[in-house]
Amino acid sequence: MVGPTASLSNLSRADGSASFKCPTTGYKILGSVNAPVELPGRRDALKPEEATVEVFIKPGNTTAGVGERYVEGIIRTMLQKLILGRERGFPRRGVVITLAIVGGGAIARGDSYLTLLPSLLHTSLLALLSGAVPMSMTYSTALVAVSKSNVIISNPTLVEAKAASSLHVLAFSSKGHLLLNESQGRFDFDTWKTVQQCAHALCRGVDLPEVDGDIAMEAQGDSGTAEGFVRETVENHLYRDYAWKIDTE
Amino acid sequence: MVTSAAAPAPSSRPALSLPPSQFARLQPHAYLLAHLSPPSTNNQPSIRANGRAPTQFRVTSANAGSLTHTNGSAVVRIGDTAAVCGVRAELLHTEDIASWSVSQATSSNKSPRSVDQTEELGEQDDNETIERERAHIEDLNLLVPNLSLSTGCAPGFIPGSAPSSLAQSLSHQILSLLHSTRLVRADDLRIWYQPPSMGPEELERHNEEEQMDVDTAQNDPVEESPREIKAFWVLYIDIMIISLAGNAFDAAWAAVLAALRDTKLPKAWWDVDNETVVCSDSISDARKLSLRGLPVASSFAVFEADAAAGWRAVVIPEAAEMKAQRLARKGGVSERWLLADPDGYEEGLTQERACVVVDKDTDGKVIILEMEKNGGWTIDTEDLQQLVDLSSQRWEDMKRILDEC
Repeated sequence: MVGPTASLSNLSRADGSASFKCPTTGYKILGSVNAPVELPGRRDALKPEEATVEVFIKPGNTTAGVGERYVEGIIRTMLQKLILGRERGFPRRGVVITLAIVGGGAIARGDSYLTLLPSLLHTSLLALLSGAVPMSMTYSTALVAVSKSNVIISNPTLVEAKAASSLHVLAFSSKGHLLLNESQGRFDFDTWKTVQQCAHALCRGVDLPEVDGDIAMEAQGDSGTAEGFVRETVENHLYRDYAWKIDTE
Repeated sequence: MVTSAAAPAPSSRPALSLPPSQFARLQPHAYLLAHLSPPSTNNQPSIRANGRAPTQFRVTSANAGSLTHTNGSAVVRIGDTAAVCGVRAELLHTEDIASWSVSQATSSNKSPRSVDQTEELGEQDDNETIERERAHIEDLNLLVPNLSLSTGCAPGFIPGSAPSSLAQSLSHQILSLLHSTRLVRADDLRIWYQPPSMGPEELERHNEEEQMDVDTAQNDPVEESPREIKAFWVLYIDIMIISLAGNAFDAAWAAVLAALRDTKLPKAWWDVDNETVVCSDSISDARKLSLRGLPVASSFAVFEADAAAGWRAVVIPEAAEMKAQRLARKGGVSERWLLADPDGYEEGLTQERACVVVDKDTDGKVIILEMEKNGGWTIDTEDLQQLVDLSSQRWEDMKRILDEC
């Protein structure tokens, strides 16, 4: 299966930026992060001891509507908790994340946003890493669908997602916490548990029985998982950036 | 701390004691924490600052049919949060839909008779019926919910201002839940027209051989020309939050549900001579919507004991480690509480939220229709299981309340 593609720091004027393309849903997202910035005219809304996280989503072919407000809210709530907004220079300032949907199908009014959510979350994570915004953990997300015949489809296409009886987006932190769960459709709790295991495997690989936490993780190799993908993208970028230094050694 | 503050201040010494209300404003986090973890010396149960147990919902009341000029309406009050919902039905003629003739030709044209049969079977919808439902309700936007918070419902919301992002995302959440639960049946919203069968006159235009074929076909019981949809009802669902004290979504969704259960659509038919849709005046002709199931939403918040966690550069433990710590501490003081139906004060102190929408089928089996969890990392699988159980208990209460109203 073709994995997603991503590149870091595509935009020169933003503090951090990333583009991300999901092969199964076809969405292509361009994200930028500016942090820390002064938010003009928002004195009352700014928190005195923390950074304010703002997320803006721009659909490819229309203006942002209520659906985008809803997804912005989801991403903001999740990132607010992960970004260390009390670090030096961040309080009273803003972390502004702008995500533009530059490719892929349009999402109509009232449609489920869940197919797009993993791409948006991955783009914002890569952009935050590119902008060197301090975070307590990284995360990885997965989209899982359950079809009418109760078959679990990981990374469904848009057609499969539309025909599915339930759709789930889960995000796991780099330490294994369940950060986000958005499930829609008809399902029961046992189905959700299977979905959760499937999503966990997609994001972080299969858990080995705990012997030596970090050694087990290393040995297993995280290529193919969503977390491994983020790690590889950032590593590749660093190798390119430091090529001058590595070559001289 | 609280017990000393709650005790009446001695009149002789008005010095340093604060009334509880002032303490609640100055140190909101410590105030709620002191309520939830009382000192082990006095045998007080862990209780929230508003007097509820952690998993207790607020007193809920519902009243249907409050507005006379709507097709259906309801007022739902959950504690101090009150939502008014009105459903107004308007006609959408198919000739006003730009792509109607095209989309009808392309969509799978089952004969309307067989569609009716599957509709009558109720829950056993096949894929094609679902697809048609989706095509009509979602693509034609037959449900239009809108939520307004600009009513002076809470100090943070200025009356008359543009819809805040909270109001917008709540509107979207309600619409997307209406779509994903398929609560309203598309067939309730369709206005059909049965053209009278013209009989043999039509046949005269055909030549001999074709007439032969048609004659054999005429032996079939189905000889009438197919029914066609002439118009749709569009439901405008307007929700006003007239008082907001936390948990706007539960109140808004309960109001939508109660209002849709109350909605009556007048009998409408296509008048061939005037080429328009005519509605009946009499209430006895009007019929109620037949909704699919009764999805009930319950929201939860997680209150964390360590308010200073954000201040210090703490290393967050691995998930497995965190669970082990929690198990070790079981029976002792827990470090976080799941609060059902948070009020405005508690919402200001919590970041992690969960929302579960459940329904029960006729056998009493719990079906989850939506499950959301965001804004933190303390809720794990076992907690979600507990939340689903709490939500199914809440479903029973809400069913009783909605049936009575």
